Amino acid sequence: MEKFDIISSRAPRIDTPDKATGKAVFIDDISKPGMLYGALLQSPHAHAKILSIDTSKAEKLEGVKAVITSKDAGSVKYGVSPARYDETVFAIDKVLYVGDEIAAVAAVSLETAQQAVQLIKVEYEILPAVFTVEDALKKEAPQLHENFPNNLCAQVHQEFGNVEEGLKQSDIIKTTTLKNKRQDGACIEMQGCIAEYDVREVLTLITSTQVPHYVQRTVAMVLGLDIGKVRVKKPYLGAGFGIKASANPMELACCILAVKTKKPVKMNYNREQVFMYSRARHQFTHTITTGAKKDGTIIALKHECYLDGGAYTSFGIATVYYTGSLLGGPYKLANMSYDGYRVYNNKPACGAQRGHGAVIARACFEQQLDMIAEEIGMDPMALRIKNMMNTGDTTCNDLNMSSFGMSECIEAVRKGSDWDKKKGNMPKGKGIGMACGFFVSGAGYPIYRSDTFHGTVIVKLTEDGGTALVYTASAEIGQGSDTAFAMIAAETLGIPLENIRLASGDTDMGVDLGAYSSRQTLMTGHATKEAAEHAKQQVLEVLAHKLDIPMEDMDIKKGFIEFKNHIPDFSVLRTRYIKEHRGWTDNPDSEKLTFKEASRIAFLEKGSIVGTGKYKPQLLGGKFKGAAVGTSPAYGCSAQVAQVTVDMETGQVTIDHITDAHDCGKAINMTSVEGQMEGSVSMGIGEAMHEEVIFDDKGRVVNNDLAEYKIVTSMDMPIVNAIVVESNEPNGPYGAKEVGEGAIMPTIPAILNAVYDAAGVRMNELPLTPERVYNAIQVYRKKLSA
Amino acid sequence: MLLPKFEFHEPASIQEAIELKKKYRTDARLLAGGTDLLVHLKKKLITTDHVISLLRIKDLGQIKNNKESVEIGACVTMARLSESKVIQENFCAIKAGADNLGTHLIRNRATLGGNVCNASPAADTICSLIVYQAHALLESTDGKRELPIESFFMSPGKTDIRDNEILTGFKLSIPGKNCGAHYIQLGKRKSSEINIVNVASFIQFDPSDQTIMNSRIALGSVAATPIRSFHAEKILQNKKASESLFYEAGEAARHKDCKPIDDFRGTADYRKAMIGVLTKRTLDAAFKQVQAQ
Repeated sequence: MEKFDIISSRAPRIDTPDKATGKAVFIDDISKPGMLYGALLQSPHAHAKILSIDTSKAEKLEGVKAVITSKDAGSVKYGVSPARYDETVFAIDKVLYVGDEIAAVAAVSLETAQQAVQLIKVEYEILPAVFTVEDALKKEAPQLHENFPNNLCAQVHQEFGNVEEGLKQSDIIKTTTLKNKRQDGACIEMQGCIAEYDVREVLTLITSTQVPHYVQRTVAMVLGLDIGKVRVKKPYLGAGFGIKASANPMELACCILAVKTKKPVKMNYNREQVFMYSRARHQFTHTITTGAKKDGTIIALKHECYLDGGAYTSFGIATVYYTGSLLGGPYKLANMSYDGYRVYNNKPACGAQRGHGAVIARACFEQQLDMIAEEIGMDPMALRIKNMMNTGDTTCNDLNMSSFGMSECIEAVRKGSDWDKKKGNMPKGKGIGMACGFFVSGAGYPIYRSDTFHGTVIVKLTEDGGTALVYTASAEIGQGSDTAFAMIAAETLGIPLENIRLASGDTDMGVDLGAYSSRQTLMTGHATKEAAEHAKQQVLEVLAHKLDIPMEDMDIKKGFIEFKNHIPDFSVLRTRYIKEHRGWTDNPDSEKLTFKEASRIAFLEKGSIVGTGKYKPQLLGGKFKGAAVGTSPAYGCSAQVAQVTVDMETGQVTIDHITDAHDCGKAINMTSVEGQMEGSVSMGIGEAMHEEVIFDDKGRVVNNDLAEYKIVTSMDMPIVNAIVVESNEPNGPYGAKEVGEGAIMPTIPAILNAVYDAAGVRMNELPLTPERVYNAIQVYRKKLSA
Repeated sequence: MLLPKFEFHEPASIQEAIELKKKYRTDARLLAGGTDLLVHLKKKLITTDHVISLLRIKDLGQIKNNKESVEIGACVTMARLSESKVIQENFCAIKAGADNLGTHLIRNRATLGGNVCNASPAADTICSLIVYQAHALLESTDGKRELPIESFFMSPGKTDIRDNEILTGFKLSIPGKNCGAHYIQLGKRKSSEINIVNVASFIQFDPSDQTIMNSRIALGSVAATPIRSFHAEKILQNKKASESLFYEAGEAARHKDCKPIDDFRGTADYRKAMIGVLTKRTLDAAFKQVQAQ
């Protein structure tokens, strides 16, 4: 394997000093001279006709600078996928959920803005509302969107191979269901933004987003501005997890208010509004049938799923496809069918969250593998390895595993957890379970159909030759992408990491689709590598000319020029460099020519040295409808072992330990990879154990704060043994692929399998609250004694 | 979320505080740790024109050990209770509650007086105060008054405190030898929880033959206020401690003494079942303490 100077190290993150000292700037830290504050009027009703809106009193309140409604915002429809643009900034004649936006106010203070919102008078005609998949699908159910009868937002019907035939050939058939609960992303930082419209009619939006590019396009489209007149920047973010992966109505309202008032306007969601806006993991109800031979060979998989979508589509069309497509691997499977239905109702819209669409399907299926293994008396790991795809294999739905360390991950967790000793030998109330999973390293296609590059990067060398500036529009949201790209640039240029300065998250710096679908490392990493290579090549070209040595005979390593054969006499270049720096005291005296000297000489020759890089994936996927969703240049693999204790009297489950192995291709930053693995485990445990957005019968969120919506606390987190399994991904920069989402895939099923091992109960509903587990134990005991 | 506007008062003595309370009565809210009050104000669950902070009154932050009894000031925080030697040695059920309330950060601010005046049926300290037969110390310009803590609670959020009164602290007799007590709360996660159910138990043994002379059991989150489990206590009376006896007491608490409701945190049936388990477990822990003495 290639030897690296910087990549694969544990280099400290470049944002650590800022974040550790409190100097990192987040949206809440920013204010502008003359800034106004905005507030939203949101519907108190889940489903109602708007008969009239009277803003006159609000407008008259002292300090109010603008009040806007759909009259100002217009009727341009937007959303995530152009195939399902179904939102307007403000409700025009109907509100579809508690929280649907109706109007916004900009005023000199937040208090005034909120007071003005209270003064807006809206007359409603309340309509009957539906809150569940079951009710929304009934014939007489109230309809949310004219163009989508029966409240069916999207349906998918796919079959690969012949499932009925496959099931006929199977010796063992397992059918189970699994239902999760609607999640909230629970980002610690709530969404916020500042919009500013300058005298040259350029709109700048600073916002807490994962996707400056998509926000820029949406703002331009909705406000009818040129893309070139809209700039979107992101400061540091307190996470995203998918919830901030599209433009939100507050950002759009804020832009409209800024254009109208010609003043900077700041808006924030409070925690209640974060819950109202939602856009996190759907509630899925899966029914899966798996057929296998007596020897453990998986033959067929039949899958049906209903997604509780909420009032709008958001990411839903992608979600409903992902839900099906990501069961195609990691096991050899010739026959697979999928029927997916995403259903509208009068709750906030669900969207994408870590492990988009695939987490609960995986949790259902991986339990069935354990059930099959148990029935035929096979070790669950052995059964999985027996069915495992090989590197280079393609799934029945055309996902190609160009690198694939899945079996290696299983072996790593087998060893790391002491599985062979523990499995089958755990004391009463304690259990051990495992599962596998995989995820895309970036979606194969942009959300809007386009041949656009998915990422462009600029590497510019400073005139003194000492520093390389990396400009990328990518989104550092806490995952460590800035550090990864700085490391890739440093490695490629052959200079130390501290000689890189990186700026990101600004649409003026290029195109980057942003931080979603675990795409940044692979895609922006490629563009960064190409840009750095381009810059390096320009330096070496000048050097080749000056020293009369072929370019191929030179390289840059650790900040020095390496010559393949002999070190030439470069004294002329050094003298020239030193003359350029009269008065400087750090004149080079090394035996080797420094990058600094070479780069300065190159600047003197050529002027600005700017390297550009770009990336888009090769043509991916099959020709069937929906084939694009699930395709990716590479897939990360994950295996986990969970050890749990179940209190048989109370139903309380304690996660004692997680062993987690992940194949991320080449790890760019080992520590960041482990961080993503631990973060995934923590989110997976939250979903498995506690998290659930609860509504009352009027469609209002009951537990809309972080006291009652229960994410994992440090007290609930077990020790995680994170084992990085490296492979060499041919489609990744330096062999790298994803870790941010694949690592969540096995967490929930590993816990569910461990709970079964401990307590003998198969859970078909999440989260595993003490009460739910207690009830399952009671049913199990009754069955045993019957 | 913005805190609504109110007038803020910071009296430096109890005298000043009770005069302010007399002046503003129900128009004023008392601030101790603020971990409930400020949240409720922000969420607009309550409104008030005046907030009287008690934090500058030094006397309210003391734990006084009077040998036979202990006085705990209303503004003593959970963190202080957890660390206090006299509490650790004599009132471990209070310590267990203080250890588990909210999070580390909340425990650094939340006070015993605040937890009691917030009067949640799920409160982490009230069941223990009941089984130790604590007295609430109240003061107003009319004078002082002591109330048994058990009769202090009226309904969720409502206590028997008068409009012109301030809760200054609690008086607890130090239990003698051969006494044990414990408190257990049950929630969905391990920290930052609001209890599904919670139970405190206290037992006193006859040292000669290990029979139970006295017991008090208090159940939380199963009625409008924390309640005593008299049927369970009756079962224990004059019996020898055993696992089966504790189970029986738990079943009595479960079936005869609690009347929980269904809500989004849990169903009544589960709450009842857990009352049985926690009653048994707190009794067992209390018994083990005595055995270890």
